[in-house]
Amino acid sequence: MSLQQLNANKFEEIIYDSGESCLVIFSRKSCHICKQVVSVLEELQPNYEGKFGFYYVDIEDNVSLFQRFSLKGVPQILYFNDGEFYGKQAGIVEEEQVEGKISNILEA
Amino acid sequence: MEDTNRSYDLIVIGGGPAGLSAAIYGGRAKLKTLLINKGTLGGMVDTTREIVNYPGYINVSGPDLMSDFKKHAESFGVEFLKDEVVSTDFAQDIKKVTTKKKKAFSAKAIIIAVGSEPRLLNIPGEKELRGNGVAYCATCDADFFTGEDVVVIGSGDQAIEEGMYIAKFARKVTVIVLHDEGILDCNKVSGECALNHEKMEFIWNSTIEEVLGEESVQAVKIKNIKAGKSTELACQGVFFFVGMVPSTRFLKESGLEMDKRGYIPVNELMETNLEGVYAVGDNRTKYLRQVVTAAGDGATAAVAAERYIEEQNAFNTTVLQSGKKVLLLFFNALDNESLEFSTLLEEVNLELSESYKVVKVDMATKKNLAHKYKIEKVPSVVLLDKGLEITRLDCSISKEKLKAILGTLPKNRRDKN
Repeated sequence: MSLQQLNANKFEEIIYDSGESCLVIFSRKSCHICKQVVSVLEELQPNYEGKFGFYYVDIEDNVSLFQRFSLKGVPQILYFNDGEFYGKQAGIVEEEQVEGKISNILEA
Repeated sequence: MEDTNRSYDLIVIGGGPAGLSAAIYGGRAKLKTLLINKGTLGGMVDTTREIVNYPGYINVSGPDLMSDFKKHAESFGVEFLKDEVVSTDFAQDIKKVTTKKKKAFSAKAIIIAVGSEPRLLNIPGEKELRGNGVAYCATCDADFFTGEDVVVIGSGDQAIEEGMYIAKFARKVTVIVLHDEGILDCNKVSGECALNHEKMEFIWNSTIEEVLGEESVQAVKIKNIKAGKSTELACQGVFFFVGMVPSTRFLKESGLEMDKRGYIPVNELMETNLEGVYAVGDNRTKYLRQVVTAAGDGATAAVAAERYIEEQNAFNTTVLQSGKKVLLLFFNALDNESLEFSTLLEEVNLELSESYKVVKVDMATKKNLAHKYKIEKVPSVVLLDKGLEITRLDCSISKEKLKAILGTLPKNRRDKN
């Protein structure tokens, strides 16, 4: 299943207004490593249905968002809980790393 | 019981152009073929913006070309699985692989086409600052460094061409080169372009020993390998282009021969040192790593694998399942002694009212069998009963002696017949 895309408004709503526990991958179409990481996330997503959100931000369409987090590259997975930033993972990540991070947040 | 859903004629590991080509040929030969691929299909080609040297396509994007390869393989009934092979057992005739998702598959032949990945320098700061200034892909990340200072490590085609791409965005690109002044590993055209580029600078005889910075990259520590001195250079980004390494680490325990860097040596048939296991594309030792050569490798290996499987199947039915005891004769068609002995053996068998089945094995084409029975000279004869070796014959004895031996052997051992 493909990840839900967020624009700046949606991002605001989900991360800060509703304080959802979730991850957001910052990505771009021309980045092949992003594609790999996105497909890892797409496979994991169904395991966390209703417990943890998976979102996608295209940095070319949302320049303000990646500037706000002073990102220096894609892909980057940013983690949020209760409107707070819970760290990030850059470049190629294995599913275990993502699972580990999510369970840290869910158990916190 | 063997699970038929998980047993194949051919398993191809890797879904770049080499693996996909092997799968196309395997499927076309009606082999039950499974292709296991870790990431996105297409491998390194999928990361290439533009391909201008694959015959038949004047200009095509990597992903488009690979999608055509995939469709082609699908049209021949190839099965695809997205997973990663983590361990292998190549010791028996039936080879086994296990994946990260804990699935096990078996096949009569395996083609390894896992390609290569960017080499890491493994210096302090490289991993820690990845995504925070340390980068490996110019197309992905160059514009994050608009107006900033960037360091590029390496002088091959990729380093220099990507360096020039980064220079479109960065204020300055400093290239760290291992060689003496003026010497770059890349092609001449790009090299000259880069050396005259107003935004590009070069630091010769040098390498990087550390990436410095807390939250993000602030500088690199450059070591001059001639003078042995280290200096710091402030920058906001570091791009590593220090070559590729084959992705063959998971095969370390497989018994597969590899060179020091992890590349797999093969012969003209793409055969590795292990029977029924082939290596194709970027992960084998080879002269030219291109889509067209990868495709050629894949075709060769799949045809070799098909013949090998056929040989194995034929051996199973004619020898291992034979009702009669089998005289397995290894001969060389160019060797007179073998031919004479072959005639002799047939004669003796006729005189014994064909109590044996004589199966001739040409050493020139059936190397695998010769290897299996450790045959070193021709002629050689192995006497088999239901596939089990009973004895070997001395091929230098007279016809009478041979007849005497073969005449008594079955009687002694005969249970019924």
